[in-house]
Amino acid sequence: MDLHFESIDRVVEELAEAQYIADRALATVLFLSHRLGKPIFLEGEPGVGKTEVAIVMSRLFYTELIRLQCYEGLDASTSLYEWNYPKQLLHIRLEEQGQKEKEEIEELIYSLKFLIKRPLLEAILRSEDKAPVLLIDEIDRSDEEFEAFLLEVLSDFQITIPEIGTIKAKTRPMVVVTSNRTRDVHDALKRRCLYHWIEYPSFEKEYSIIMTRLAGIESRFAEQVTNFMQKIRTVDLLKKPGISETLDWAQALMVMHRQFLDEEVTMETLGCILKYQEDIEKFKKEIWADQDQRATYLPR
Amino acid sequence: MAGEVIRFAGFLKDRGFRVFQSSVKDAIRGLEIIGLFKRGDFLSSLRSNLCTNELEWSQFPNLFDEFWDMKALEREEPPQESTSEDREVEEVRADGEFLHDIDQQGGAEAGDIHEKEWLEGVTYSCLSRVEKKDLADFERGDIHVAQLALKRMMEPFKITVSRRSKRSQRAASMDFPRIIRRSLKTGGTPMELFYREKKRRLKRLVILADVSGSMDRYARFVMPFLLGLRGVGSRAEAYVFSTSLSSISFMIRHLSFEKALVRIASEVPDWSGGTRIGYSLHQFNQGPGQRLLSRRTVVLILSDGWDLGGKELLRREMETLSRKAYCVVWLNPLAGDPDYEPVCQGMRVVLPYVDHFLPVANLQGLKRVGRLLSRVMTH
Repeated sequence: MDLHFESIDRVVEELAEAQYIADRALATVLFLSHRLGKPIFLEGEPGVGKTEVAIVMSRLFYTELIRLQCYEGLDASTSLYEWNYPKQLLHIRLEEQGQKEKEEIEELIYSLKFLIKRPLLEAILRSEDKAPVLLIDEIDRSDEEFEAFLLEVLSDFQITIPEIGTIKAKTRPMVVVTSNRTRDVHDALKRRCLYHWIEYPSFEKEYSIIMTRLAGIESRFAEQVTNFMQKIRTVDLLKKPGISETLDWAQALMVMHRQFLDEEVTMETLGCILKYQEDIEKFKKEIWADQDQRATYLPR
Repeated sequence: MAGEVIRFAGFLKDRGFRVFQSSVKDAIRGLEIIGLFKRGDFLSSLRSNLCTNELEWSQFPNLFDEFWDMKALEREEPPQESTSEDREVEEVRADGEFLHDIDQQGGAEAGDIHEKEWLEGVTYSCLSRVEKKDLADFERGDIHVAQLALKRMMEPFKITVSRRSKRSQRAASMDFPRIIRRSLKTGGTPMELFYREKKRRLKRLVILADVSGSMDRYARFVMPFLLGLRGVGSRAEAYVFSTSLSSISFMIRHLSFEKALVRIASEVPDWSGGTRIGYSLHQFNQGPGQRLLSRRTVVLILSDGWDLGGKELLRREMETLSRKAYCVVWLNPLAGDPDYEPVCQGMRVVLPYVDHFLPVANLQGLKRVGRLLSRVMTH
């Protein structure tokens, strides 16, 4: 495992090989997180590739990606473990016919076989041989109680199940936490993580992302799309399109066999980029209606 | 080098950063690992360890330059004949070796002493000065510090969970009585599962903020604070008024608060206009208030009480408001002044109908508001 990530330069190379174009700052954070054993806390606008970081990490280390998607109301029983009550109850009834002692049955129904393993427990159990990548996605959607609970797990990767005992991870899973900032995450959690803010990509970065991710795209067309996207992000919109929208859009146009941006095709596919009716209206009214402005978006 | 990093952390702390002791330790460990060869790596390593939110993230590079360039100048009193970048690298390298030496002779101890010094040494900081400052007297430099401090105050509300439980759709604790009762249908084999969860009890918060001319400077500071109260859940509603009322709930719910703030300032028709509190309250009570006000609603009004409208209307509307709501909190920036008496007539009329009257002239005042709210918001 240490064969990878021996220096920051190496990380940049590895990421590029895995088709993730990262700037050096992000590579530094990944490197440090690997060495210090600290989780990474990623923030940024939607669609800039936060979740992708974890996916790429798991690919780099040839290990499993365990994903915990957060939502309001997420709690220990849905994120850690839960006893499989129906199975237990059925089993008790089956055993009632047999000759087993009560204690024996009890021991049986409180064994690992009757445990529903949720992502966090899974991450700990899987780390027996090779540390998995644990992605805790959109933590800002969960509630504060869950955060507090997560702290406990992240600090020493050990879980106590009263009926079974304490299970401890042999190796620390690599943890990536992402947030869209719909609310502030508590300090106690941030303190334990390395923070990184992913910005909208620059022209060069976005261009090379399109070129690496979309096989068979013409470089001239990629340039046109990048130019358009860079421009549209300067407009004050409710939701600025991220890099994932760029890829979607370029792919959509490729599927339509239209590898050239013109007014007609842009209007037809505007829904790939702008996801709010208000934004579409605004774009049409303020930019598209203006001949000069429109010209700057399109190739000459 | 460890000492320098600790001093840098202190420097950031003075500028409103939330710096934790453990992060500083990790920052130092991180530097040991990556080595000190490139300024860029040095920056990103410190940045990822010492920042905790976007605001800090964006301010970091400038502060980094400020601190380390200052250091470089101090160090190199006798000017040398080399480019500044070379110098930087050399200097950093030299320090790296120094660190290495310390490590060999029990460097941990040395680090600890530094750290202790730093923790105890900070009694005076820019932050504590800014906290007491009147919001209206803020200078440009204070604004950054204040923004960070505000962010810190917007810690999520503690949601108290009631002891009573209710039936729940999602997986929570098992409702065994119901499971077993239902299992009788299938001959004692429970086929369906039912859950119960603890009830959440949080009141609804309604914010009415005055953004008229006399309140302009305060509103700009208090608004981010109020917007941060989104932590109280989806049930918070916010309105701004000067001569008439407009809702900003949609904006604060769908945008990050920096964006929301810009949009509110540009879209609210009469930001910094005159005030007609009575009429605005009337609009509220007749319109959204019908739906929003109940004994589970906390109303928070932010205004200095300078009113151009009729007194009788104001009194009547305040009465309605206080009768319908659980409690009415009035935040007044002028109340912080010890000489202040509610002289303006508007204020005198409303006082009997206000449950809590608090000053919000400075950040400390806001802190108190946060505390009060977390008390009155929960049952």
